[in-house]
Amino acid sequence: MRAFIKRMGPLLVNLPPLRGLLPLVAFLVVWQLVQPGPSPYFPGPFEWWRATLRLAHRTDLAAAFLSTATTFLLGLALAIVFGGVMGVLIGVSAFINRALHPLLEFMRAIPPPATVPVAALLIGYNEAMKLVVIVLAALWPILLNTSAAVRQIDPLLLDVARTFRLRRADTIWRITVPSVVPALLLGIRVAIPLTIILALLVEMLTSLPGIGALMIQAQRNFQSSEVYALLVLIGLFGLIVNDAFVVIETVILRSWPPRVAGT
Amino acid sequence: MPSTAIRTARINGPGLLTIVVCALLWEVLVRGGVIQYSYLPAPTAILAGLYELLSTGQLWADTAHTLQAVIMGWAIAVATGIALGLMLGVSPMLRRYSLASIEVLRPMPGIAFVPVALLLFGFSLKTELVVIVLPALWPVLINTMGGVAGVHPRLFEVGATFRLSRASVVVKIVIPAALPSILVGLRLSLTLALVLAIVAEMVGNPTGLGYAVVRDQQALRPALMFADVIVIGILGILLNQALMQLIWWLFPAASRRTRGA
Repeated sequence: MRAFIKRMGPLLVNLPPLRGLLPLVAFLVVWQLVQPGPSPYFPGPFEWWRATLRLAHRTDLAAAFLSTATTFLLGLALAIVFGGVMGVLIGVSAFINRALHPLLEFMRAIPPPATVPVAALLIGYNEAMKLVVIVLAALWPILLNTSAAVRQIDPLLLDVARTFRLRRADTIWRITVPSVVPALLLGIRVAIPLTIILALLVEMLTSLPGIGALMIQAQRNFQSSEVYALLVLIGLFGLIVNDAFVVIETVILRSWPPRVAGT
Repeated sequence: MPSTAIRTARINGPGLLTIVVCALLWEVLVRGGVIQYSYLPAPTAILAGLYELLSTGQLWADTAHTLQAVIMGWAIAVATGIALGLMLGVSPMLRRYSLASIEVLRPMPGIAFVPVALLLFGFSLKTELVVIVLPALWPVLINTMGGVAGVHPRLFEVGATFRLSRASVVVKIVIPAALPSILVGLRLSLTLALVLAIVAEMVGNPTGLGYAVVRDQQALRPALMFADVIVIGILGILLNQALMQLIWWLFPAASRRTRGA
């Protein structure tokens, strides 16, 4: 998994040349041209644009979008906090790792969508349920990357801590935590698409307000152009979030490990 | 080394103990009425639910359907992904002229295709396959492309020295060299395929294990629902293990280089 992301790194950081968009643009143009009138199944891209305007006009679009984005951000933030803290604890202590490993392995093996009905039944249809489901899904890549990174810390660094007679808490704070930041960022990058998918799924299944609910509603009313319009919107959202995170990651890692004055 | 066999053979005392203690605590808290969730069944009730599912035969039908969808979808994604990945990996020109399109399409959440697929194919296996194939394609495609593009140039010189044709360069040099990376893609893709099959069954095609979870939730039978979820988890573990074993049998050398990724 991590090798995969590492390999993706350069591809994303030097964003590919724009001429690479040619096949996509050509495809959309052909789609539009082949499509003389409104079609119930394959409405042309212009029709999607008109549907977007119609949706925006009904004013529920901005609110739905905001709701999905808020859930996404909150869920991701909680997953980062829980995953990071648990990852460090599990990585630091061989005993905690051994004790929790089988349980965590099994929980990780459960496909996140399957937890939606469980959470709905136990917690009910509300924001808290959305967040629980999302955190349960987005936690694992962050937790596993972090704990693996803790175990791969250069032993020399830990020797330095011992030489300075740092207390265990100080060692964790000054050496372990800074060393795992790159791995934590990798974990977050994997968690982002998962978080978006889960946010949409919960909305589709429970009709809690959001883009997912709008999509399934449009599909049930056979408003195909609205379905495509929302698909494009959510695709753009994913693209922007992914690229924004790549930029954040590049910025953080450029000055990592942090240089201390005088070194 | 056949890692899977050895890893499971080593007994992890504290690990098992944690699971047993958690289950016991859960049982006691629920039976003792300390936890006030009306729909939280005790572990023993879940086991009873599992037994009920097994004895009615419904579980086997559901599992068979989900398994079929996962494997069909995965196979299509793998075939398409490897073919496209090889083409893009071998030709830098093709890569320049399509990479940005891929980068725009790749972050599209797979689940967003559910409504589109439903519009086109209704409640059918085809809907499920659309939802599985589109997202499960990317890991295979990207890993194949990355693996092929990363083949050491000297290997191509070797091919030129032996005057191999373009086709035999791909078969004899490129594919073997990119194999570890491709195999990582296959594993990522299989995990994704199961997740998406469950999603498609929950929202789209009402059959299989994904639908079973929703059905038992709506029927307010939490014990059965938990049992369904556990079966899905076990299916995921088994699928992954089966693939690892298969890779180990077919490509022992490459599987060693793939592990840990």
